[in-house]
Amino acid sequence: MTAALIRTLLALVALLLSVVAGVAIGETSIEPGVVLQVLANKLWNAGYVLDPIDEGIVWNYRLTRALVAGACGAGLATCGVILQSLLRNPLADPYLLGISAGASTGAVLVALLGIGAGAISMSVGAFAGAVAAFAVVVLLGRASGVPGSTGQIILAGIAGSQLFNALTAFLITKSASSEQARGIMFWLLGNLSGVRWPSVWLAVPAAMAGLAVCLWHRRALDAFTFGTDSAASLGIAVRRVQFLLISCAALVTAVMVSIVGSIGFVGLVIPHAARLLLGTGHTRLLPASALGGAVFLIAADVLSRTLIKGQVIPVGVITALVGAPVFALILIGRRNAR
Amino acid sequence: MLLPRFVTLFAGLGFCSLVCAAPTEYPLTVENCGATLTFPHAPARTVTIGQAGTEMLFALGLGDKLAGTSLWFNDVLDKYKGQNDKIERLADNEPSFESVIGKRPELVAVELEWMVGPQGAVATREQFHELGIATYLMPSDCESKDNLVGADGTRLAPFRVQSIYKSITELARIFDVQARGQQLNAQLKASLARSVAAVQDKNHTSALVWFSSASLDIDPYVAGHKGIPDFMLKTLGVRNVVQSDEEWPTVGWETIAKANPTFLVIARMDRRRFPADDYQKKLAFLHSDPVTRNMDAVKNNRIIILDAMAMQASLRMFDGLQSLAMAINSYDLPK
Repeated sequence: MTAALIRTLLALVALLLSVVAGVAIGETSIEPGVVLQVLANKLWNAGYVLDPIDEGIVWNYRLTRALVAGACGAGLATCGVILQSLLRNPLADPYLLGISAGASTGAVLVALLGIGAGAISMSVGAFAGAVAAFAVVVLLGRASGVPGSTGQIILAGIAGSQLFNALTAFLITKSASSEQARGIMFWLLGNLSGVRWPSVWLAVPAAMAGLAVCLWHRRALDAFTFGTDSAASLGIAVRRVQFLLISCAALVTAVMVSIVGSIGFVGLVIPHAARLLLGTGHTRLLPASALGGAVFLIAADVLSRTLIKGQVIPVGVITALVGAPVFALILIGRRNAR
Repeated sequence: MLLPRFVTLFAGLGFCSLVCAAPTEYPLTVENCGATLTFPHAPARTVTIGQAGTEMLFALGLGDKLAGTSLWFNDVLDKYKGQNDKIERLADNEPSFESVIGKRPELVAVELEWMVGPQGAVATREQFHELGIATYLMPSDCESKDNLVGADGTRLAPFRVQSIYKSITELARIFDVQARGQQLNAQLKASLARSVAAVQDKNHTSALVWFSSASLDIDPYVAGHKGIPDFMLKTLGVRNVVQSDEEWPTVGWETIAKANPTFLVIARMDRRRFPADDYQKKLAFLHSDPVTRNMDAVKNNRIIILDAMAMQASLRMFDGLQSLAMAINSYDLPK
């Protein structure tokens, strides 16, 4: 019990440190002392006299960015855990359900065809597209699936992704110049630069709620790792729980995608890393993945802003650059362990 | 007796080298952006891809030689509206290859290389040349510029205003209207000199040129330090706070706010691809964002709204220089 407590504390300290690093390190250099003074001013009304630009950068740009990165990392990693466990497929990731493909279609519809006449932002379009794509995937999975089989939803997800990607490509070729498409692609690759406080109030509760729902069903998730039959024999309402958890993952992912675009690898790699370290019990796996995802994405965002001076690398590039080799190591490690 | 005659002769020659020029001898060969163009006679039918070239031909008095136009950024200048109404607009944006060749042009004048570059948005230059259609690329977009790197190309050396004069001289030669070309160039040079003179006593200022953003809060597209807007700033003795070779790089607001430029230039355009295309939305963002509203330029309302066409290698750039100079002159800046 004490060991678990210490681990929890260490993990929380790591999260706090990464947020502080996210706030202290940025495109330009701001003295660490000034950063702390800003935080003191805002959190405890300390009343230091500071340059309002510095204050704004730390509080409105960097802190919001770190918090949203953390929430996205946590949310995506949690979704990864759910999908990998429920579908019993190590390659499952949050975008498996057609969500990022649907989000691009939604964003493109808003940006290129002017659907919503300016009242709807690209983010709202992306969210609607993601939910629509997920609905298509679920319907397809249901229509074709043997009850309780998990293979169908994966195939339905692949089909749905292809369909929506094709739709996006069609819309772009039909109505966009390459310049327009560039703007949209830039956004879809994953971009944290437009993040402000309203995004925080959306992303953080979404990630927390997703994690809470999953923790509530942690026993069921444990049971699912042995297959749907064993879960059913343990008295779990298989279809209801499956539907609830998959919908929950889809919604959380859709929220994240609509805020920051589709950032790859977090939802795929972090759950595997956590499983390697802590085993497959979801009581520990879920919070550990969420924390790991949060720290990983905040760190990746810091790297994306500082690796090349005066230029921001899309954060999705960093997560893939770090994620792909880590994933390869996990695969090799698994073979050796066998 | 002899002296006055000599004077007249010399004066005549001197005058002539300024204003008149020998008529073009055909067939004419012109080296243009890596291609050799041959004209057996002055082109009778021309299609333009890009508003800058279209308006340049109008300014040279060649409106009757235009068979089609495309790639419009803003409305045509008022003084050319009458002429322009008679010419078919093939497309608002890039035209299709067939709509261009359907006009049976003898010349296609292209403002931006990526329209006819190796990955030609319309077609490659070779495709036109195979059909015996000459393509004239504006030197401003191909000289010392790599259009395969970066979103809108990357400049290997700073933009030179001479490239605009050069396009006027060359087009005037191709169409055998050299006197008009020289006259136009002289006007532009005089206009530039007036702008420079207007801001002589304003030094040590810096600026940022914000074109648009893919989404309002996101990192904006701003003018790099070798492009046309940078040339305009430099000409008026203003330092661009952006240090990127790309034509329109994205730079974070954090970096911009910390650089704290003396004034901001924001683009006005008719295009509505992104919310930030609307200069009113740009203004609203600058005044409401918790960081940008504290920038000196925003607090003191030193925000210049400039036509997007004036930020391109076009005749309007010279008008843009004048409005910039006037705006800078109106600010009460520390010397």
